Amino acid sequence: MSSRCLELLFLVSAVVLAGCQREERRFSEPPAASVAIRSVVQSDIRPGGAPPPPSPAFAYDSNAHAISQGKQLYEWFNCTGCHAFGGGAIGPPLMDDQWIYGSDPENIFATIVEGRPNGMPSFGGKIPEQQVWQLVAYVRSLSGQVRKDADTARSDHLFTRKSESSMGNTRPRPASPPPQPPP
Amino acid sequence: MNHSAISVAGPRAREIAELLVLFVGVSAVVYVIVVCALIWAIRRKRAATRFEDDDARRAADRKSRHIIGAATALSVLILITLALADFFVQRSLSAHPVDALRVVVTGHQYWWEIEYDDPAPSQRVRTANELHIPVGRPVELVLTSRDVIHSFWLPSITGKKDLIPGHTTSEVLVAEKPGVFTGQCAEFCGLQHAKMRLVMHAVSPEEYEAWRQQQLQPGRQPATDEERRGQSVFTKSSCILCHSIQGTDAAATVGPDLTHIASRTTLAAGTLPNDQSNMATWILSPHAIKPGVQMPATQLAPADLAALTRYLASLQ
Amino acid sequence: MGDKHEDSSTHRHPTRKLFEIGGRRLGLLAVAVLAALWVGGPLRAQQGAAQWPMPAGDFANTRFSALQDVTAENVSQLKVSFTFSTGFLRGHEAAPIVTSDTMYIVTPYPNVLYALALDEPGAPVRWKYEPKPRASSQGVACCDTVNRGAAYDSGRIFFNTLDNTTVAVDAKDGHELWRTGLGDIRRGETMTMAPVVVKGKVLVGNSGGEFGVRGWITALDAATGKIAWRAYSTGPDSEVLIGPDFKPFYAQDRGKDLGVSTWPRDAWKRGGGTVWGWISYDPELNLIYHGTANPGPWNPEQRPGDNKWTAGVFARNPDTGAAKWFYQFNPHDLYDYDGVNENVLMDLEIDGRMRKVFAHPDRNGYLYVIDRETGEVLSAKPFVHVNTISGIDMKSGRPTMVAEKKPVVGKVVRNICPHAAGGKDWQPSAYSPTTRYLYIPHQNMCQDQEAVPANYIAGTPYVGANVKMHAGPGGHRGVFTAWDVAAGKAAWEIRENFPVWSGALATAGGVVFYGTMEGWFKAVDARTGRELWKYKAGSGIVGQPVSYRGPDGKQYIAVLAGVGGWAGAVVSANLDTRDVSAGNGWGGVMADLPQHTQQGGTLYVFALP
Repeated sequence: MSSRCLELLFLVSAVVLAGCQREERRFSEPPAASVAIRSVVQSDIRPGGAPPPPSPAFAYDSNAHAISQGKQLYEWFNCTGCHAFGGGAIGPPLMDDQWIYGSDPENIFATIVEGRPNGMPSFGGKIPEQQVWQLVAYVRSLSGQVRKDADTARSDHLFTRKSESSMGNTRPRPASPPPQPPP
Repeated sequence: MNHSAISVAGPRAREIAELLVLFVGVSAVVYVIVVCALIWAIRRKRAATRFEDDDARRAADRKSRHIIGAATALSVLILITLALADFFVQRSLSAHPVDALRVVVTGHQYWWEIEYDDPAPSQRVRTANELHIPVGRPVELVLTSRDVIHSFWLPSITGKKDLIPGHTTSEVLVAEKPGVFTGQCAEFCGLQHAKMRLVMHAVSPEEYEAWRQQQLQPGRQPATDEERRGQSVFTKSSCILCHSIQGTDAAATVGPDLTHIASRTTLAAGTLPNDQSNMATWILSPHAIKPGVQMPATQLAPADLAALTRYLASLQ
Repeated sequence: MGDKHEDSSTHRHPTRKLFEIGGRRLGLLAVAVLAALWVGGPLRAQQGAAQWPMPAGDFANTRFSALQDVTAENVSQLKVSFTFSTGFLRGHEAAPIVTSDTMYIVTPYPNVLYALALDEPGAPVRWKYEPKPRASSQGVACCDTVNRGAAYDSGRIFFNTLDNTTVAVDAKDGHELWRTGLGDIRRGETMTMAPVVVKGKVLVGNSGGEFGVRGWITALDAATGKIAWRAYSTGPDSEVLIGPDFKPFYAQDRGKDLGVSTWPRDAWKRGGGTVWGWISYDPELNLIYHGTANPGPWNPEQRPGDNKWTAGVFARNPDTGAAKWFYQFNPHDLYDYDGVNENVLMDLEIDGRMRKVFAHPDRNGYLYVIDRETGEVLSAKPFVHVNTISGIDMKSGRPTMVAEKKPVVGKVVRNICPHAAGGKDWQPSAYSPTTRYLYIPHQNMCQDQEAVPANYIAGTPYVGANVKMHAGPGGHRGVFTAWDVAAGKAAWEIRENFPVWSGALATAGGVVFYGTMEGWFKAVDARTGRELWKYKAGSGIVGQPVSYRGPDGKQYIAVLAGVGGWAGAVVSANLDTRDVSAGNGWGGVMADLPQHTQQGGTLYVFALP
């Protein structure tokens, strides 16, 4: 084959493979294996000074199907009733960078499953685990923490504006704490 | 199986079938004529290329023109006739029936939500995937969709009509004789479009009324310990986030109503026969049967699952 | 001068005794004392008016103070007398309750009850009672974790907690007398309303129409806290307490078990009709009047039928709860037009004869005058721009709905006026018998609405509507209107930038008070509406102003500042206004509120210097 052909083949394969994971649909098994559930950490202070291990990448952050399923479940399970479309109402906003209980995937998972003291219901045992992870992915997308090409499109009803996650001024909290200064 | 557009059981499907026969018949005849003419033209061509003089050629041309003109005129006539036949059938099909039973059908991915309209709101029957209609009485369906475009098709009874989100369309059903008829979604709507089927029971007016009265009852209360345990499993696990059973606290609307689930002949929109073992499989691993469906896999201990299926089987 | 309720018959005995003992000087002193007390009669009558025992002021809900020290001429000299920080920062919607020497304030969650000693300088806290409601109740309160105040009766203070408890404490020392649990937060029930005590029964109602809660009003025995009766707002007649005495004026309200048959299937069990608003009482007719809130869910397609007995007003016997009549302001409500607004009792001359009526500014933007004996609508006039209703048919009592404005699932209907919070929401109006005007704090707002299917999950919101609000015609979001009830039209109005979410107070001195969401507490002339005085409080005002005579004899005006409530949640709950639907529709239209006010929680008490 000519080098031109090879280049083209390589380019096409790269694009196709990059899209593979984004479009993958895992119907049956939960992605628990893809997020090593370490103990959920809500504090930045760790006595002894050592930083916590960095969070492994969350598979659903780059999976378009999971995020869009999360968006559908977000409305079905009445998350909109308390959190609106990210702006908050009875519950706090989810589209900004202020996180009371942490923004890491396992933090959000724990918030949904355990509930929180000031009114967040506990959905543990009510929403199957895989669907909770889909909701986690969608909630992270509201503040722009997912891969841009896996994100949902804008809602095209009632609000003619950009999608929640593509709004300016969202500063996603970094997944791991800032590096420690040298001693 | 009463699932054929050709073996019909209702006047509307009959009109469509007759139209089909007319079109196919006429087209077949025209096809044969054209093919014969083609063969004749191929074989005749060699002989007709040599002309003695200009007059002969002009005569031959004139003859050709006459034949072409006649054929064209005949084609136009046939097409106009077919168009008129189609027009009259369409007009007949779109007439609004008088004294029709009104049923609202809402398409979801991948099931049919059915609600029988009634001027008294407390008399509205709500079910899923299965229609019961009285023989002989026209039923007007009001069709809409919650998500994408679906299409309602009961081949033995009537033609296809789309269910479009944000709009309502309407279709009419008339069953001439009692029987069980099946239908399907006729507009690609997603991964499980092929398994979005529905079942229609055409019954006598008395049987219909009896069925309707039964459907208006709240869900049967559990009678045995196992059924009670099953109801408890239902209300304590994820079922109540999507399903409803009248008479319990479960009143969710995103999934099918299960108040009389045991009175339905199929599960999963016509995909599985309705029995406890299929129900158990459906609850544990719906994606093994219909991958991509909205129902999630629900993990339950075997005893809980058995109690749940026993309870659901009691909801006549 | 702290004496309560002495009548003149007791004064003769000391006088006679003194003369018998002898001593002319003592006799003269006695006469002088008697004369002073006698002259003080009118003052004592005003001292009786010195108490503000319930947020609405009196059973007729007039919110009118007979005190006239503060007048239109001198109100410009009003100064802060003392302040008190409650220590909490959510919406402060309560009215301070005042007896002769103590002021009682209930805060938003966690519903602390403070008793301030008015007879000591600076009004220090005499005691406080902390009911410690469950923290999870904050998660099922639709419209900020507010509380609208306590009620005083016979030495006891009664109030509700967010997690559905009615509490009675001793008014002197704050020890708990009883507490009764009445609802379940796991079903989305809360309580925010102020109780009313009628003939030894504490009347309370629940909240939660946005959670698929079944509404009720309950009467508790004031001494023991036991439930005397409970009337639901939906369901069979036996549970709504509709019996042989029930004589509704209009034909559509007559029939058996309409609370079931006007709903599909068992939708009435999740039908709303909560009783979170105001209750009036007519001692002569022995009837209480209370409204019922919106039907649930907001999406009307899920509940075809008239949805009785929501979005209307009941007249009930307070001893038994038996319903006397009912009128439905909004049959098959489409826009969350609750019927719980105040019913201000008054006597009005109509067509030459005096009628016992009440005035009711409804959520749907109409000011109703209703015969309180029979439930007949005598007049209904819009007090804001309304395009959802083209008129009220006086023969049938039904509103004529505008078809183009009907919410449809899957469609966006634009410019619905008034919006879901109505022409006026909970914020109570005041009535002056002097001017005969009803002073209405309210808003001028419209909305775009998209109905969506609501999925019922107990304990989560059950709404079914995406809402985006905007200001109505004119661009001003708030209005303070003086409504001439007899004439059926506005006498004057004051336009405000933000919705006027505070209560109103009318005084015999010819002054009317209200507060704005930026924090201005204003006094205007009761007749003309001219602004006479204003004061900028530390936070927006959504509370109910009251007036009382303190132990030192001066007239005081008191109001709580601390922005919040449904309209103020943008600030009190720190919402992100880039989402225009935040706070159930307020997000976009209140994006500028944080520039004008931050959270707060302070009591302000004013007096003339």
